[in-house]
Amino acid sequence: MPSVSNAPLATNEVAVSVRNLGLTYTTAIDRRPTLKARLKSFGGKQTRTIRALDEVNLDVEYGQVLGVIGTNGAGKSSLMRVIAGILPPSQGRVEVYGSVSTLLALGVGFNPAMSGRDNVFLGGLAAGMSREQIEEHFEEIADFSELGEAIDSPMRTYSSGMYARLAFSVAATVRPDILIVDEALSTGDAKFKEKSFNRIKELRSDDRALILVSHAMGTLREVCNDVAWLHKGKLIQRGEPNTVIDAYQEFLHVGKSAAVDEDL
Amino acid sequence: MSAPLQVYEPFRAGLPPLGRYWKSLWARRTFISQYSKSELREQHFDSVFGQLWLVLNPLLLSAVYFLLIVIIGGSSDSTRYGHLTASLFLFYLVSNSLTGGVKSVTAGQRLILNTAFPRIMLPISATIIALFKFLPTLFVFLVMRTIIGLPFGWEMLWAIPVFFIALLFSLGVAITISCVNVYFRDIASFLPYMTRTLLYLSPILYEASSLSPKLRALEVFNPLFPILDSWSQAVVHSQVPSTASLLQGLAWALGIFFIGTYFFLSREREFAVRL
Repeated sequence: MPSVSNAPLATNEVAVSVRNLGLTYTTAIDRRPTLKARLKSFGGKQTRTIRALDEVNLDVEYGQVLGVIGTNGAGKSSLMRVIAGILPPSQGRVEVYGSVSTLLALGVGFNPAMSGRDNVFLGGLAAGMSREQIEEHFEEIADFSELGEAIDSPMRTYSSGMYARLAFSVAATVRPDILIVDEALSTGDAKFKEKSFNRIKELRSDDRALILVSHAMGTLREVCNDVAWLHKGKLIQRGEPNTVIDAYQEFLHVGKSAAVDEDL
Repeated sequence: MSAPLQVYEPFRAGLPPLGRYWKSLWARRTFISQYSKSELREQHFDSVFGQLWLVLNPLLLSAVYFLLIVIIGGSSDSTRYGHLTASLFLFYLVSNSLTGGVKSVTAGQRLILNTAFPRIMLPISATIIALFKFLPTLFVFLVMRTIIGLPFGWEMLWAIPVFFIALLFSLGVAITISCVNVYFRDIASFLPYMTRTLLYLSPILYEASSLSPKLRALEVFNPLFPILDSWSQAVVHSQVPSTASLLQGLAWALGIFFIGTYFFLSREREFAVRL
């Protein structure tokens, strides 16, 4: 139930418990499923099965800042979506204790024809917040996003940076028990990057769990106190950030370079 | 532990726990009203001219058909014009709900991929938007039927149950088509032909009573036939609609609503994968 609650939660209490999680899905070869395509391929099966997650076990405790790393297609986003309750697992069990706010790759803004303000309200209401709760936070969201007047223009007029800024502001302002940020940390200009980085640091607290998916290893080294490495749907390593990230970079054969540490 | 616990496990085919689903849907009812409001505002229906267009559009359409039937067809009956307009307005409730509903889920992609919520909110919103577009036309019709001097009577109150049947039917088709569109994206392109066919097969341009008995036997296959016929009986002729028509309309509406909702609910958990 994603809502704002400030229930005091002691450290070391489990926020998210993932047990033997498996996720498979079949995708059509065709990009767009149409009746025409279905009729054309009548009889022949044009699908392939993807095993996105395989026997993943993961506990996140309150007070933890977990970084999730892995190559593209490792299952990071799928894992986040399962934890957020957007995708149902195929096997296993996920327990989530507390309110979740998600900032997944797509962020807010589901209707580009509507204004940023409308989209913030709709996104919040869909997530189960009340109108009053959103109103209460709206000023802060608008301020943080630095969109100014643009907040009332249709979102189709936004640049991708503006999109990302608004999305980050929404997710980071509602102060959920559990915040999931999927590859949205390193968006925006340097100034906003710095600002969102600081906000993440501010959000670190004993009664909150943060899960950050990112390719910015430098950031993860700095803010996380725990890192999980996923590869091809499997959890490879979990532990102290520097150790895991070093192992991951070793694996990638890229070594430690400024480019990797910053942004990949 | 005061924090709410949420458990996600594999689902078996079939419905999600309905009690919990309903609760979470009810908790988000403001989304539906807010969404409809924003959508209507975005389509400029909050301005005077926007509202006017809402009324003008079906009115112009009925004028076109009026031209076709009354002037070219040579019949000069005010009841006929009243019937045409009233039926067309109700037909637009259903057809707006269909056209709004068809892309409601696929257009909500970003929201679906980012947030967990009862997906059925999206087609419901589409029907509510269609309803908001319908209400002003009802007012226009009332003014018009006074001008052309159609009889008033308490029998007109039968329009209320007929309206609710039509609304349930609209909701049912919106839910069904939004779900179908996830799997067959080209349904949206067929839709104009479907609604156009439905328009001609329904008693709008003609009255149900003027059909030959042979053709009327086929009406059982058109869900809109009994609904529109009852509607016209009540609001145009100020007569009690036939029980058979009412029941038939209700059966269609309930049938489509329940079948569509069943499909939607049992499928919606995999929408995120399909989008």
